[in-house]
Amino acid sequence: MTPVFTPEQEGFREKVCALLCEDVVRAEIAQSRRTPYGEESGLLDVHRRLGKLGWLAINWPERYGGSGATIVEKAIVTEEMIRHGIPENVHSLGVDIVGNAINLMGTDEQKERYLPGLARGETTANVLFSEPDVGSDLGSLATRAEPDGDGYRLTGRKIYNMKAQHSDFALCAARTSTGPVNYAGITLFLVPLHTLGTVIEPVWNLSEERFDLITLDGIRIGREDVLGEVDDGWQVLNRVLPFERTGLDHSAKAERTLAALREHAPPGSAERLERLETRVRAARLLAWRCIANLHEGKPDEIHSATAKWYTSETAKEVSVAAVELLGPQALLDARDPDAIADGVFDAAFREAPGLTLAQGSSEIMLYFVATSKLGLPS
Amino acid sequence: MTTTIAEFFEGDLAPLVRRMADRPRGEGGDTDDDRRETRAMVWEGLTGLGALDDDDAVGLAELLGSVLYQGPLLDTLTARELFPDADLGHAPVALAAGSYSGQDETITARCDFVGFADEVEHFAVVGGDRSALVRAGHPSITTRRHEETGRGELYRVDFTDTPVTTWAGPVDWEPARVRQAAYLVGLAQAALDHAVGYAKTRRQFGRAIGANQALSFRLAELSMRVDAARLLVHDRDAAAHAAGTLAEVADLARTVTVQTMQIHGAAGMRSDDDAQLYYRRAAAESVRLPQPRG
Repeated sequence: MTPVFTPEQEGFREKVCALLCEDVVRAEIAQSRRTPYGEESGLLDVHRRLGKLGWLAINWPERYGGSGATIVEKAIVTEEMIRHGIPENVHSLGVDIVGNAINLMGTDEQKERYLPGLARGETTANVLFSEPDVGSDLGSLATRAEPDGDGYRLTGRKIYNMKAQHSDFALCAARTSTGPVNYAGITLFLVPLHTLGTVIEPVWNLSEERFDLITLDGIRIGREDVLGEVDDGWQVLNRVLPFERTGLDHSAKAERTLAALREHAPPGSAERLERLETRVRAARLLAWRCIANLHEGKPDEIHSATAKWYTSETAKEVSVAAVELLGPQALLDARDPDAIADGVFDAAFREAPGLTLAQGSSEIMLYFVATSKLGLPS
Repeated sequence: MTTTIAEFFEGDLAPLVRRMADRPRGEGGDTDDDRRETRAMVWEGLTGLGALDDDDAVGLAELLGSVLYQGPLLDTLTARELFPDADLGHAPVALAAGSYSGQDETITARCDFVGFADEVEHFAVVGGDRSALVRAGHPSITTRRHEETGRGELYRVDFTDTPVTTWAGPVDWEPARVRQAAYLVGLAQAALDHAVGYAKTRRQFGRAIGANQALSFRLAELSMRVDAARLLVHDRDAAAHAAGTLAEVADLARTVTVQTMQIHGAAGMRSDDDAQLYYRRAAAESVRLPQPRG
């Protein structure tokens, strides 16, 4: 069903849009898309402005830099940021994933320490889960945290994470014990990134944002840096994942690309555009269903998996369709003086493969729906 | 002859050829290295082996796609069909499509997405009722390399009162489309082989990921579609259905490379992995020739 917003929420959306439509914001976004190759923007002035208003993490308590609003207002901010083309990975990693995990599962001390900076748009964080041999199968990760006095020493290699160069700290998954069940014995740590014993190496890739290979060479972390309980990281992830897997980011990206495609598509594209538009509308409905679930305190894993799969596959489909419909014009990078729509099609095409991989691959979502929803044998 | 050329591409040359027009940017390496020397060497090799006179140009195009060859060979074949009486020797020619105004002696035109404009010896300016052959290097011609998804050698070329060497009629796109479709069949097959190889060796959850039917059936389906596409491009009636065949194979090449990326996971996005190269190339090559009108 189409989400129903209160007049206050509609008014709030208008205010967010008004800010994001300001010339100074648009100019900053356009400039960030044309950063020299190999460089990339971190947090922008627009993040800091949203932070100052208490909107960036609007659903967090006021004392941690939020406004004490609900997940609905947060989703409105996220949706509008993406619709307006604000580079969102730096925000979603810091606020929506790491900050949200701390807000949900952190100690008071951790919240005091990390959340205000994230909410103000002054600091950010990244996620260290994947390893060279570990992608979807997180249970087999090899990074280990060995007890060391009243803390731990962390050793391992993490890859395919983003924004390490702009991040102050990271949420890192490491093994603290071994047993018959792979998922037990994993602990989540809040670790400093720019410290002796941590080596960050860029891994260049298809997308606009570099990956990093991060080597943790026995860095010392304290017991107070554990997020949640020791050996119980899987439970933390299960609590946090529904917030990460609403699909709202993907549906908003699909909307943005489709809006530009509609503007530039050649005559004769109407039927194709209409089909894509229907898919994108469905994607948004699935995403907002997840937001409604969270708002009611009833996260639904099957709804989350459905939304993640459908929205990311739809966003990818729109990106590939743009190449087909627009031809070579769609390939022009934002840095080419003749790029149409600020190079949104090239950026979307290069980002597309990651959408159906990150935050749980399409295959993992399909497996989950096949076994948990349909009851098929695993 | 195609067999001899296939042997030419085997061995140590293959990885060089796959990246012969891939210009990494801002990745900590030498961004000025446009790999023109590799392309010149490959051009010498190909023309020396008779590629310009190959009687199986469709087979040759498929082979070129399978090694991700990047260069002016397919354009040159089309230009030689268009200007059969011009003395082109072994010179490389780029097709420059766009609207133009021209008198008998000169031509003025703006053409986008012209391949290898800075290293060909002639341009065939096409797209109107007449086609013009012009010599490259004339001061009336300016070029600017596009920044684009394929990060290859595509240029905007401006001709301003550029002297015309020879005029011809409109280009017959059918043979060019069949060759381009064959190139994409080769590309799709190579991308698929890359995905199959990874699915056999990458292990997650205690077994090769290719042991999952969700993946293996997807790969099998694509393999069958590539097989069908290959029959289309080599069919004796291929030219009569060229536009439809190219549209189908273009879609297939994009689909195969999207799936190659998905099966590789984040590893396929790495610049040092060929998966992302196939993905970029499929995008650029699938829309390289002008679309049929109507």
